[in-house]
Amino acid sequence: MTAMFRYRAPRRRDELLELLAEYGERARVLAGGTDLLGDVRSGLARPAAVVDVKLVPGFGELAWSAAEGLVIRPGVTIDDVLRDERARSSYPLLAACAQDLASHQIRNRATVVGNVVNASPCADMAPALLCLGARAVISSQDSRREVPFTEFFTGAKRTVLRAGELLEEIVVPAQSAGARGSYRKLKRIKGHDLGIVGVAAMAKDGELRLGISSCAPTPLLVDGLTTRDPVDEVVAVARAAISPISDVRCTKEYRTHMVGVYVRRAMEEVA
Amino acid sequence: MQISVTVNGQVCQRDVEDHWTLLRLLRDGLGLTGSKEGCGAGECGACTVELNGRTVNSCLVLAVEADGGSVRTVEGEAEQGRLSRIQEAFARHHAVQCGFCTGGMVMSVRDLLQRNPQPTVREIQEGIEGNFCRCTGYAQIIEAVLDVSGQLDDSSVGDLRHV
Repeated sequence: MTAMFRYRAPRRRDELLELLAEYGERARVLAGGTDLLGDVRSGLARPAAVVDVKLVPGFGELAWSAAEGLVIRPGVTIDDVLRDERARSSYPLLAACAQDLASHQIRNRATVVGNVVNASPCADMAPALLCLGARAVISSQDSRREVPFTEFFTGAKRTVLRAGELLEEIVVPAQSAGARGSYRKLKRIKGHDLGIVGVAAMAKDGELRLGISSCAPTPLLVDGLTTRDPVDEVVAVARAAISPISDVRCTKEYRTHMVGVYVRRAMEEVA
Repeated sequence: MQISVTVNGQVCQRDVEDHWTLLRLLRDGLGLTGSKEGCGAGECGACTVELNGRTVNSCLVLAVEADGGSVRTVEGEAEQGRLSRIQEAFARHHAVQCGFCTGGMVMSVRDLLQRNPQPTVREIQEGIEGNFCRCTGYAQIIEAVLDVSGQLDDSSVGDLRHV
């Protein structure tokens, strides 16, 4: 890694937000680093400051509240979610997506917040968060706002986050606890490949939601469905919602076909 | 920045640049070249080490992030010149050819066996999902892990060539 930057590791939340305000566009937040450090190495990111969030007290914790649900802070790794018995049993879809994300080494380091902030079209945690009705709590030095994940992604690798802002909490609502879930990701090999097509399905009280990755500029949610809808109709709705491209991994026709296959399988699994 | 890291049980203090990776500290700063740089992007796993009890790709961790932490590398495996049981099994089953993946592979196997002392073939495959080997086709590595976990039946040697 040849790029130069200043590493800052504030130990207080206010100090962190102050640094993000001071550096603005020239700062990049470091959580797990599994996306950021690769981008720095390849020259895609050239930050003047890399601001580590992990030393802020409480930022590595998964918090629970009966009213709110599960609160995921910026330092919570994918592996932390998998090791949390309550998160796994309450939100099986969250665990299914976490389990399918990259390899042990990456899951031990990568964070849930980082996965969505990176905003790759193939982000594995996004389909779960979309289906579960999660929202992003975004803080800056002088503001705090909440954005549902249906409005969080604005394009490939783009989000509503502005310079100086931090995705401080992901809130997974208590109402979604207990929902059945399934995630199917098509890839050539497990562990070290990006998804070709990803389909998450969530069913609760007869309502059916699909979260689809790698088939549009952003991960997307297909809702307004029920578990009683004919499978062919659900497949047609899902195919109408996506806008896949042909790339090095496969053609758009193959993606469109496989969305149908995976929607059928996912529906069977959550039925 | 001055950092202090415990590496294979020894406290090391070094002055590192902010942008140095943990892998660079290990290789260039401490001369521990058992961890390799393959892809530099977290895909090949040749740089796998244990940081604070969890396996990580050391190419994707900054050296400064390890400050105050504890690192274990493949150099921590052998004790007093004797290979560890995992390393011996790798040698016995020819699970090493060019050797580039071996350091990271051994660290992932060690992590797997700590979590799961008797993994199935499927679980071994899952345990080394983050480590590339371009020589062996993995069969010999899986045999070595079955052997070191006391699960290798002589008749099954060779059968794994199809997994």
